[in-house]
Amino acid sequence: MAYVATRGGERAIEQSERLYREDLGRIDKTRVDAIAKSMPYLLDRVMGEASLYAPELAALALAQSGGDLYEAVLLLRAYRTTQPRLAIAEPVRQKDLFTVRRISAAFKDIPGGQILGPTLDYSHRLLNIDVLNGADFVPEPVEQAAEPAPATQPSLADWQKAQGLIADFQSEPVPLEEIPDVTREPLLFPASRAHKLQSLARADTGGTLALGYSTMRGYGNVHPTVNELRLAEAPVRIRHPRGTIFSAGRVRISQAEIISKAKGLQLGFSATFGWNEVKVIAAASLDLASTQEKPHPASNEEFVLYHTEPVEASGFCIHFKLPHYVTFQSSLDAIRKVKTDKPANKAAVPQADAARQAELEKAMS
Amino acid sequence: MNDISPPDAAASRFGHAQTLDILAASEPGAAKAFAETLIDELGAIEVLASRTGIVMLPYVDTVQNTAFHLGEVLVSEAHIRLTGRNIEGYGAVVGRDLEHSMAMAIVDACITAGIGIKAIEAFLASEHHRQRKIDETRLRKVESTRVRMETF
Repeated sequence: MAYVATRGGERAIEQSERLYREDLGRIDKTRVDAIAKSMPYLLDRVMGEASLYAPELAALALAQSGGDLYEAVLLLRAYRTTQPRLAIAEPVRQKDLFTVRRISAAFKDIPGGQILGPTLDYSHRLLNIDVLNGADFVPEPVEQAAEPAPATQPSLADWQKAQGLIADFQSEPVPLEEIPDVTREPLLFPASRAHKLQSLARADTGGTLALGYSTMRGYGNVHPTVNELRLAEAPVRIRHPRGTIFSAGRVRISQAEIISKAKGLQLGFSATFGWNEVKVIAAASLDLASTQEKPHPASNEEFVLYHTEPVEASGFCIHFKLPHYVTFQSSLDAIRKVKTDKPANKAAVPQADAARQAELEKAMS
Repeated sequence: MNDISPPDAAASRFGHAQTLDILAASEPGAAKAFAETLIDELGAIEVLASRTGIVMLPYVDTVQNTAFHLGEVLVSEAHIRLTGRNIEGYGAVVGRDLEHSMAMAIVDACITAGIGIKAIEAFLASEHHRQRKIDETRLRKVESTRVRMETF
């Protein structure tokens, strides 16, 4: 298929962009700061899907796109390509996580206990209409405990492995520069586990939820329960030129393990930038589903990973609104030709039908 | 964490790794203001790097112990050398605050050069205290959400 080059419309195109930006109005630092302060979970979602942790830039992307998430993710991904890669940090392990929320739905008494952390899980979801009438909502302060929680929490999976409840996978340490990277090499199938988990980490939240939900509802062999869910801050540990490893700061991460007892106890895993529980629970379900028999597309890693890539998926979808004149024109030509040939076709059809009938009778005799 | 401080590293109370941890997590305005007080004593400085860039963050899956890339983190870094002396300073912080990473590099170079050590120790102690208080307050709030589920 080929496309015709088009020209003209430059003024309309320029004015259309102006109209879009005029509707959004002036963007200043105050607006960006307000977005960053008031919508941390939205920033988290954008950063996770963009695969770039940069809260200030995520807020700017949201301001520029007027809150269109796919545009915001695209802006961040595009910005990322302008930046040099300075280093590969030390791998983050669960024991490094400054943990603020850690729960298990499958096991009540877990090492370290259950900590709800910041959540609306057990809250009524009601709009506070009074705010619109001028009565500010001022949150009640948390009543602090006498003692602080431990900064890190033990691993539930490690305890389960030690108990022989789940398989203990041994893996060889991989040099940092040899960790597979889907931003620098193609995603091939069957995907390596590193590619799969990286792809899920940067996957579209909505797409991941849709496919994960389908496996939860029965389009798959996994009946998931949350083994462990964590919200935490992970240190970004890099190497000083003299060799000292230090933390350049922390980033918010979420992590989920999903457990299924379909074939003994099996775990699925997912983690992503930012605090995004829906995404990691759905993605961990998809990780686990991909290890099962594959009666449904959501259990097929190729189907899942290709169709939850937010920039490629949204880009492919919206490219259909751009001019496809060759395709459309050739279709028009074909329709016109059929119409032109219609009288001749009408005369030919009875003859063709008669010939087919004769062939049929001959075969049956 | 590793701590490969050179013999002349003078910030004795804090090792090199902890010093860098504290500087990176310090309040940016305070770090910049403090570095300003040291910069004149350093003499001429050659800036080897002052830029933003990205750091790939690997993560280890808890199920199969597979290391994978979680994504990239925007950081700013600064690398300086004291002109005519074999002394360098380095700073890197999450985010795009080049002045913060430069302030960190200046303090790092001062420590290696043995300049302003008492003041640096005092700054690090103050920042360390502030950072610990923030974390402790956060963790007290987190602890108050600890739940003991009962089944019946």
